[in-house]
Amino acid sequence: MYSSEPFDYARAGSWEEAVRLLEHGGEDARPIAGGQSLVPMMMLRLAAPSMLVDLCDAAERTVSVSGEELVLSALVRHADLESSEAVRDHCPMLAEAASQIGNVRVRRRGTIGGSLAHGEPTAELATVAVAQRAIVRTLGPAGERSIPAGELIVGHLTTCLEPAELITEVRIPISGSRQGSCFLEIARRAGDFALAEAAASVTLGDDGRCEAARVVVGAVSHRPLDVSEGAARLLGEVLTEPAIREVAAAVAAEVQIGPHTHASEEYRRTLTNVLVSRALWTAARRAMNGSGLP
Amino acid sequence: MAAPDRAVLETAVEAPERALDELGREPAAHHRDFVEKVCGTLPYADDWGLPGMLHGVVVRARLPSARIVSIDVRAARAVEGVHAVMTAADVPYNGILDEASGLGVDAIVQPVLAEDRVRYDGEPVALVAAETPQAALEAAALVDVDYEELPGVFEPEQALRDDAPAVHPGGNRYVTWRSSIGDVDAAMRSADLVVEETYRTQRVDHAYLEPEAGIGWIDSDGVLTLRVSTQVIEHAREVAEILRLPHSRVRVIASYMGGGFGGKEDMTVEPFIALLVWRTRRPVRMVWTRQESLLARHKRHPFTMRYRTGVRRDGTIVAQDVRIIGDAGAYPLLSSRVLFAAAVNATGPYRVADARVESVAVFTNTVPTSAFRGFGAMQVVFGYESQMDRIAQLLELDPAEVRRRNFVARGDLRVTGEALDTGVGVEECMRRALAELGPRPRPSRPGTRVGRGFACSMQPYGRSVFFADRASAWIGLEHDGTMVIRAGVTDLGAGQAASLADIAGEVLGVTADRTTVHIGDSALTPLTGGTFATRQLYMSGNAVLKVARALRAKLEAVAAALLECDPEALEFSDNRVRAGGRSITIGELARAAEHQGVMPYVHDTFEAETGEFDRETGRGRSFPDYTYGAHAADVEVDELTGQVRILAYVACHDVGRAIDMRRVEGQIQGAAAQGIGYALSEQVELVDGVASSTLFAEYLIPVSVDLPDIRAIGLELHPGKGPLGARGIGEPPIGPCAPALAAAIEDAVGVRLVQLPMTPERVQRALADTRARDERAGA
Amino acid sequence: MSAHEVALTVNGRPLRATVQANASLLELLRTHGGATEVKLGCGEGVCGTCTVLLDGEPVNSCLTFAVQVDGRSVTTVRGLAGPGELHPLQESFLRHGGAQCGFCTPGMLLTAKWYMDANPHADREQIRQALSGNLCRCTGYTKILDAIEEYRDRLPTGAGGQEASDGGA
Repeated sequence: MYSSEPFDYARAGSWEEAVRLLEHGGEDARPIAGGQSLVPMMMLRLAAPSMLVDLCDAAERTVSVSGEELVLSALVRHADLESSEAVRDHCPMLAEAASQIGNVRVRRRGTIGGSLAHGEPTAELATVAVAQRAIVRTLGPAGERSIPAGELIVGHLTTCLEPAELITEVRIPISGSRQGSCFLEIARRAGDFALAEAAASVTLGDDGRCEAARVVVGAVSHRPLDVSEGAARLLGEVLTEPAIREVAAAVAAEVQIGPHTHASEEYRRTLTNVLVSRALWTAARRAMNGSGLP
Repeated sequence: MAAPDRAVLETAVEAPERALDELGREPAAHHRDFVEKVCGTLPYADDWGLPGMLHGVVVRARLPSARIVSIDVRAARAVEGVHAVMTAADVPYNGILDEASGLGVDAIVQPVLAEDRVRYDGEPVALVAAETPQAALEAAALVDVDYEELPGVFEPEQALRDDAPAVHPGGNRYVTWRSSIGDVDAAMRSADLVVEETYRTQRVDHAYLEPEAGIGWIDSDGVLTLRVSTQVIEHAREVAEILRLPHSRVRVIASYMGGGFGGKEDMTVEPFIALLVWRTRRPVRMVWTRQESLLARHKRHPFTMRYRTGVRRDGTIVAQDVRIIGDAGAYPLLSSRVLFAAAVNATGPYRVADARVESVAVFTNTVPTSAFRGFGAMQVVFGYESQMDRIAQLLELDPAEVRRRNFVARGDLRVTGEALDTGVGVEECMRRALAELGPRPRPSRPGTRVGRGFACSMQPYGRSVFFADRASAWIGLEHDGTMVIRAGVTDLGAGQAASLADIAGEVLGVTADRTTVHIGDSALTPLTGGTFATRQLYMSGNAVLKVARALRAKLEAVAAALLECDPEALEFSDNRVRAGGRSITIGELARAAEHQGVMPYVHDTFEAETGEFDRETGRGRSFPDYTYGAHAADVEVDELTGQVRILAYVACHDVGRAIDMRRVEGQIQGAAAQGIGYALSEQVELVDGVASSTLFAEYLIPVSVDLPDIRAIGLELHPGKGPLGARGIGEPPIGPCAPALAAAIEDAVGVRLVQLPMTPERVQRALADTRARDERAGA
Repeated sequence: MSAHEVALTVNGRPLRATVQANASLLELLRTHGGATEVKLGCGEGVCGTCTVLLDGEPVNSCLTFAVQVDGRSVTTVRGLAGPGELHPLQESFLRHGGAQCGFCTPGMLLTAKWYMDANPHADREQIRQALSGNLCRCTGYTKILDAIEEYRDRLPTGAGGQEASDGGA
């Protein structure tokens, strides 16, 4: 028999109303969008909000381009990230990562805002958000603010969001034409929580040499780890597979790996090495091809 | 003990062509239960309710070893809506008598509710019935148990030591089986090569999609009735004993199961529902959560198998010495039979004149282990097939050739001294499985390597012959010529009920759409024994065949008179009886017969062959027959991550005769899928007896993308002992998967794993270890 | 905690109930709606037996609260065809042995129907991917895929079949 603890329920017609309802609901009130992160925990009695504020009508699920940014409503679903032409064109890593989330039901319901706000260590979109230097826009009792993605998650299932503060939008700098990116993850089984993730992007200069490189490792710690410094030695160089393998090995040797019930630290370190290497090299090849994706 | 039904067997053997003709056509229409399944209208155990129904919950201990100091149920009883809170003191007879082997092994009484000792994490200690599920959960949380934690033992090798904590007063060694033939020590000394290795298999869960569930009530005749998802309606007797009721006052109805695989072979919800019904005199429903099921319902025995195989230079086996330790968990359940099956099947489909096998069931403070598809005889396939590959490797022989030089044949003796008395089709299965794979595929991307492997097996079908197994059936014809079959089989989803309709239909000429099969009711259907041991087709199929033939014989005299012909000229088909250009409907025949006082129904029993087994000497008859097969696989291994992707998989078994080949294929594919999960990913992990996870998300059964299309091949080579020469197919395909994949992985990347599951991490670690060794050697 | 009135359509028929906020859609359907064809297999959203189509999209009914679906439409497997009738996809499952114990079948059929409606030219591997969230313990999936491919190949010309295409949305 499955049921969560009882709770009060209200639907918000706008972000503002949602914030008001959450404030009113007290410290144990929680927002719900797709529910794919929160509800399983509630059913297993690992979480017991006193109130749920339903965000499904709070805003339109829009994907748009504004200047140099891809602007996503927090309510955009993973499946829409996967299929949206705008996302595929302007932030292909996001589409690639969204396609690897869970199963069809999770992807049809889960939202980017919900995923980021939950602070799950293995959340693919969190890793991508950090890799893409996304800005998370929020609305709370104190007003609006912008949070760099790298500062969002602060602990295990813990974000820097204040009580009653909601993610309303995610803004991502548009990928350039000489940029290639790749998101990879390995889980024990398809759709399972990842054991390790790697998000890599490289930008090539006119001379074909590496102008910029970003690498983020996800799922091995309580938050995505920006290890782009480890790729610094690639800057100004022509990208080769051996050079990238060296970077990956160095990154994997240094990165902090947390404990996991079903995989040893050593194995996750090995996976990190493999994924960083493969993601970087794929990103490099995609950049060289001149298109975002092969 | 009655002689086996020779007439049935002889007909099958003498007229295989006619049998094939009879079976040649497709079933006329889809069987009703399958139609109901695709429509969603088939009522499973939890799809029933009754007015005034209460909801029952089991309260479980969460320590692996403890003494119960006290239980206080007052707060629980005070919750609004609660009708009953029961503990051990409230159980009239607090014992599930583990009937053990049928060979005089000491029985250990397992409590229905723990009384003074807790022996495994998840053991039931109390029951609650309440008006709502929420109230039941609330009350369950308020049952206050004071435990004194005790030392426990969690590994069988530890449990065998003299200083180990005793799970039961009699010690941790529950039963030992020994069989030997010839002089294994002398033969081993004479061998050119002795290969020794220890293989380890893991604890796994049945993970059927339908959780344990049922509902109980007292009917208008005062009969305690349970409608539950169960493989065995005969548990009605055990329920009666527990409640100290006459057996005639308990009835078990088996709903169609959403999977069983042996997980619903022992009782699950039955005793708990019954107790709550009897206490409250209200209908009580109980459904276990998935997490509860993963925690506390019995699992497959982990085995440690030490194999020593002596061979000549040409690869022929001269000696086999096998020692198996099986973890029985905290209570015996069917452990003695599982370890028996392991012992007598430990040498596989290979000739050996000098062999010794020993298997031991050992108690530990872990979740009890019991029946699961394959039942001991599947774990050993990993042992004996891995040995064969090792032998081939060390002698630089082709692994298929090594098998060919050793395969058993009809007439060869097993380690128990009994002779195989049906044809052996394993070599053709092996040839066919390998041929079906075709040319070796190439790696799909850099960093991966492709490999090919195969494995052979034999798996018994039918229960051990010293059990005097029997099954009964009733078949009758209605006035309109429709047919009713009553047989106490339970349906796991493999078409158990449908098969009976097909068999009877072939004999009596009634089509499937005019046949109703009533199954699984201990009050109203003749008992057939449970659906397990791949016995149902063999037992109830033969019972239905026997009864159908008897009914036909009874009616032939009447029909012959009506049609003015010889009985031999009669043809029963398409709901009519024909002879010499004339015909009548089955309905007309039934009415005419009844009018003459020849009642158009028969009830009878099929007795399986029996035999004796001597526990002391380990000699005698074990199983009635075996199904032989071989699987072959191509895999692609990622050299850096250890991930294994199966590119192609073929599973080939000699099924004797296929009543319905599509159903046979479905069984092969389904069992192989479970075997693949067992080989690569499934594991119930316990740390000091405590489950590290009870989430279904973390119990890794294969999903669609984890499996290739499994090419199932059912060959009809040598008739078996099932109806019309069929051999059981439910269990056999689960065995060869792990060794076939182990061989394929070794072929791909050069590492041989001897422990299951062969997870990516284990493959990767083996590869890394090998690389490190090679570097040290090369440097 | 207050009660909520929810009104939805299930297979085209209205279903009204007063529920606590924490009642799941699964519970609403099975208990109030008599829709026992919606199964409960794990309570975690992993197995897929509780799958229903919510406004045409597959969701875990065990992880959706009834209050969230007020005013929405739900399709269960019984909505695929009229009483006593079979949808062509169900017929394909019967012909190919796509159901053994049948417990995964309702969720499997709905997911397959949803996916094929949106991707009528999908190939076998794409279909396999789409079903990766529907667990089956009996069949090994092969005959399920056979059934769905046959269904695709029998779709009216233009709507389905194995034509060269990008195969999906």
